[in-house]
Amino acid sequence: MVEVGKPRFLGRSIWVFHLNTGSCNGCDIEVLDVLTPYHDAERFGVKLVVSPRHADAALLTGPITLESLPKVIRAIEAMPRPRIIVALGSCACGGNIWYKSYSVVGGVPELLKILEERGVVVDGVYYVPGCPVRPESIIYAIALIKGLASKKVRAKVKRVGG
Amino acid sequence: MDIISKYIDVIKAIEPSADVGVSGDTIYATVSHEKIRDLVKTIYWDHGCFFRTCAGSDERMLNGFFALYHIFGDDGHGLNIVLKLYADPDKPVVPSIADIVPAADWCEMEARDLLGIEFSGRKPYRLVLPPYWPKNLYPLRKDVAYDTKPQLIVSSEKVGIWGKTATGVAVPIGPYHPALHEPEYFELYVEGERVIDVRYRGFHVHRGIEKLGESKLTYQQVNFIAERICGICGFEHSVCYAQAVEKAAGIDVPERAKFVRSIVLEVERIHSHLLWIGVAAHLLGYDTGFMHTWRIREHVMVIAEMLTGSRKTYGINLIGGVRRDIDDEKKRRVLEVLELVEKEFTVLVKTMTSVPQIMKRLRGTGILSKEDARRLSVVGPTARGSGLDRDVRRDLPYAAYSYADFNVPVYDDGDNLSRFLVRVDEVYESISIIRQLLDQLPKGPVMNEEFNIPEGRMAVSVVEAPRGEDVHFIITGRGKPYRWRVRAPTYQNIPALRVMLRDQPLADAPITIASIDPCFSCTDRVFVIDRSGSRRRLDKIMYGLG
Amino acid sequence: MGLRDIRGSRLGFLRALVIAGRRGRVTRRYPYEEPLLTSDFRGRIDIDETKCIGCGACVNACPPNALELLRSRDGYVSLRYFVGRCIFCWRCVDVCPTGAIRGTREFELATDDLSDLYDVLIHEPMKCRECGSLFSTKRMGEYVVSKSPVVENYVDLDPGCRRERLLKAIEGRFGGRSG
Repeated sequence: MVEVGKPRFLGRSIWVFHLNTGSCNGCDIEVLDVLTPYHDAERFGVKLVVSPRHADAALLTGPITLESLPKVIRAIEAMPRPRIIVALGSCACGGNIWYKSYSVVGGVPELLKILEERGVVVDGVYYVPGCPVRPESIIYAIALIKGLASKKVRAKVKRVGG
Repeated sequence: MDIISKYIDVIKAIEPSADVGVSGDTIYATVSHEKIRDLVKTIYWDHGCFFRTCAGSDERMLNGFFALYHIFGDDGHGLNIVLKLYADPDKPVVPSIADIVPAADWCEMEARDLLGIEFSGRKPYRLVLPPYWPKNLYPLRKDVAYDTKPQLIVSSEKVGIWGKTATGVAVPIGPYHPALHEPEYFELYVEGERVIDVRYRGFHVHRGIEKLGESKLTYQQVNFIAERICGICGFEHSVCYAQAVEKAAGIDVPERAKFVRSIVLEVERIHSHLLWIGVAAHLLGYDTGFMHTWRIREHVMVIAEMLTGSRKTYGINLIGGVRRDIDDEKKRRVLEVLELVEKEFTVLVKTMTSVPQIMKRLRGTGILSKEDARRLSVVGPTARGSGLDRDVRRDLPYAAYSYADFNVPVYDDGDNLSRFLVRVDEVYESISIIRQLLDQLPKGPVMNEEFNIPEGRMAVSVVEAPRGEDVHFIITGRGKPYRWRVRAPTYQNIPALRVMLRDQPLADAPITIASIDPCFSCTDRVFVIDRSGSRRRLDKIMYGLG
Repeated sequence: MGLRDIRGSRLGFLRALVIAGRRGRVTRRYPYEEPLLTSDFRGRIDIDETKCIGCGACVNACPPNALELLRSRDGYVSLRYFVGRCIFCWRCVDVCPTGAIRGTREFELATDDLSDLYDVLIHEPMKCRECGSLFSTKRMGEYVVSKSPVVENYVDLDPGCRRERLLKAIEGRFGGRSG
């Protein structure tokens, strides 16, 4: 069980900004679902804010399409430090089925390279696989950021003989 | 004289040498460039057909030409009509029909962007691809690989750049805005509080799905990418694709699989309408309604997960059937949940409609008249809220809908309230359809695995999504589709926004935009309004040239 | 059930308070309580190393290429599963010939390190007894022999050497050199 650290200067409640970079909306309606009575993310102090300037974390869904790339970069630059990017879903973590398509950058790992070139520093990145992401997965990710739960997934390497 | 012979006579009267073929409920005809406009005018206006879509195709590998398919539909008689045009392989040019059929405007520009087919007799503009995309790189052509990426330039356009001749102040909404879930960019030109014009730039969700379906994936894998065209109405895209291939290849689907598909389609419709009602309540400022509606909707998501294995993007559809079955325990659970949902939903709607602010904001705003709706060929609840009686489940029955009895709600006012009421009524109809189908579930297998898909067959498949009719057009190839064209319902409905938003107060803009239930990821393409566009030109497109 | 006449009393909206009061609290206090999970949910997959033969049927069926078969320079074949790109469709579970892939109901997969999301299964290759090149996997050879024992005498030849043998056999049958 590995403890995941968060930047020390983040308080108890995390304000999130929902950033849809070209997703099919499956993950986005699950983000809205997290705020509804059955799953209630506001127990953890999470609030959906209207402007990236108020946000601590960006919930990024979608493989980053070429058309939305400049707007995404501008939205992330507008977030004040410390910034966290939470990559929700299979599109953001690895690009999903269109990871090599002509019109898609490819997901958060590629976006981080572009952000580094432009000198935009991101203080923490979290990956949440799922297609679409369950509301419980999102709550688990928030609990991970706040230190209430510990990471369960770990890389496995197995060797097979004859 | 039966309806098919009538249409063949109409086509032969205008173009005697046309090559006409009939397959099932579709008439195919190859037409020459000179006669296409007369033929389209006759079919669209004189015979009352609706325009479904147009698809360009690179057939240089098959017969050495480019091809353009115009697909019309006669809903009253349950027919599809496909008109094919050939274009020169080196410099493909075809006559445009956008002045006769305003609904064809976007489709033509998309064919131009992705395939390089030019249209004579109209002003072109860039639609689908980003502005800095190199001019001679056409992604959908067969000699361009699906992972060709041009040099990445990070630049975006400025606000009001198209406003040279438009008056008023530009109010940008989006691409990231609290009222919207998806990135889309609306520019409203306002004078005081009244909206006088709208510019729209979308296309932020274009992911190259058609190209992937034609190059990298096999037949069975395309079901999964079709499901992810839209996360809210994904299952109907997957059913539409599977039905298109099954129609083209003549594959028999077991009856029980058709019933399962219809039941899951109706479950999806209930969840989508409840989602919309909640979001509409939220946009009107009534968050209580939002929370209660989504609380009720949670039950529907749980039975969707129980029936299919995932809350959304169900992934149970394959060509030839479905992967999961409904047993008696699940049937009992579904009926239980439906009773609960119906009871709570009735109380909720009664409560919501007795809030005076909501009714005032919905009544009389965002009006779309019946003539405009007919001219633009809008679909779904947007059409039914303006008095057009169109529903594909009743007109061209597919899957198991011919076994269920249901009404199609139509309201005549054309304002936001009519569209709201159409969706409320449809929830009740869906619940009734699921009950009827569960009652009549036949025995048998759910999957047919013995089939062959021959090359070179064409088919058009139409399905009623929660937002309107969805059209998939397919030409089969070896191991994977040769050409796959998706025309999502919101594609047809967005041009109607310009009529609905004109002369409305600014505060009504979000609910009006939301009332067509836009699903921009289905739309998958953007409409850039002409750079030097003036109000006169917009009027020309909207009102059919004067 | 049309709603053609909408008449509510002036205070009809207060019914919302009654509904809320009657329903009470519905929140599932996950992660301290059980989530709303059914038994049919499709979570991540688990590859059983005792049954996998390295055939690559799952790689062909996977739409987003989350499962990939990579061959390293020293001939070892590895099946790599990237959870980040998986779409949880379970097509791999459907097509695996030995039933080595099993679906689980795990969805708690969040992490801050992308390398946690890769699972690798490394197969030992077969060594050709004539030319010594490495090809396929040992497990695949055993599987093929178990299905059809007659191939035992040439399963440990790589495709190049097998072709040579076949051409020689054809030559021998028809006498003299062919072509």
